[in-house]
Amino acid sequence: MMILAVALLLTMLLGLWRVIKGPALLDRLLAVQLFGTTGVAICLVLAQALNQPALRDVALVLAVLAAAAPAALVQRLKQSSAKIADNAKERS
Amino acid sequence: MSLLLFDVLLCGLLLALALASVLSRQLSHAVILYIAFGLLMALTWARLAAPDLALAEAAIGAGLTGALCFTALARQGKLAASPTLSWQQRCWPALFVLVTLFGLLLLVLQLPAKPGPLPALVMQQLAASGVSHPVTAVLLNFRSWDTLLELLVLLLALLGTLQVAPAPVYQSSWVLSRSWSQLLAPLIIVLAGYLLWAGAHQPGGAFQAGALLAAGAVVLKLNHQLNWLAWRNIWVRFFAIAGLTVFVAAVLTAWLLSGALAEPVWLRWPPELAKYIILLIEIFATLAIAITLTLLVVAEQPATPLSLARQEDDEAADG
Repeated sequence: MMILAVALLLTMLLGLWRVIKGPALLDRLLAVQLFGTTGVAICLVLAQALNQPALRDVALVLAVLAAAAPAALVQRLKQSSAKIADNAKERS
Repeated sequence: MSLLLFDVLLCGLLLALALASVLSRQLSHAVILYIAFGLLMALTWARLAAPDLALAEAAIGAGLTGALCFTALARQGKLAASPTLSWQQRCWPALFVLVTLFGLLLLVLQLPAKPGPLPALVMQQLAASGVSHPVTAVLLNFRSWDTLLELLVLLLALLGTLQVAPAPVYQSSWVLSRSWSQLLAPLIIVLAGYLLWAGAHQPGGAFQAGALLAAGAVVLKLNHQLNWLAWRNIWVRFFAIAGLTVFVAAVLTAWLLSGALAEPVWLRWPPELAKYIILLIEIFATLAIAITLTLLVVAEQPATPLSLARQEDDEAADG
């Protein structure tokens, strides 16, 4: 059973390259999304392997909140870039 | 064997992400790496068979930390055009972390290898606590003083944050993002209710449920929903302090009820009422924690007539 979890962690190791090297912010963000999906899978496997049914709740929380950070980022990016545009307008 | 391999891989990933986050050249990249680190931290707690901590870390790390850091960066205007940090700016925090880590390692190595007498004592007294999950029994019965002070700390943090909250920035939001956040809301409410209720007999409880609710509320607030959820709303203020008030009221009631005994004990629930007292405290604590964490991330100064006029202009242009 644990060998499945190890295989899932290995896919994370591959994702690590994209998270650390980037190059762009959104590349990293998508890699973190991939981490989130893999994390849900690992929680489900661990729930079975360690005989801890409560870990399925952890998987549920991770799955529901997986897109929260990207949603916050795109919303704040919009705000941030609008602010920069505003500043540029005032200067010109 | 595969268990060992899993642990080694997990530790390696954690270390790599932590180093990359601390030494990152741009703050926005550091935040993303830190979110990934929080996710792996939740997996680490899961691997250590500590689902209570894994739940809290999943709700805080996946939902709130990212929103909080991105919001902070956006307010400084450093999100879209993040300045590159010099090597001194990156090395000093790393040095600080290393020194803290060294001190913590020294402390951890001094811990006795065998568990103390407390876990056995908790299991022995569990029947009288009113709940069947040992963690909840410790947090809300045996050591409820700590939980009371934690609620107070959260409230103080909120009051401090409100003093320095920035002026509101009105922005339209994407339709896709807004409808997604509206679809997410009922799911989060059901899941939070489940976690709160499940806390009595399995991992879960007020903090996890509150953090989950807060994550949902933050996502909605970022999409300009839930406009009533602001400090100017008297009910929001009421529920933000209700967690603490109900706790203190329950303590006083329990104290008066036990007054007939020879020696009334402070912060001790009567065993036959313990279940209902804990449930009452948990419900109000969940709401207080949810409101406090939400406002900590997205609190804004009360709107002025000028900013309201701007918002109406934006909405008219949007529609």
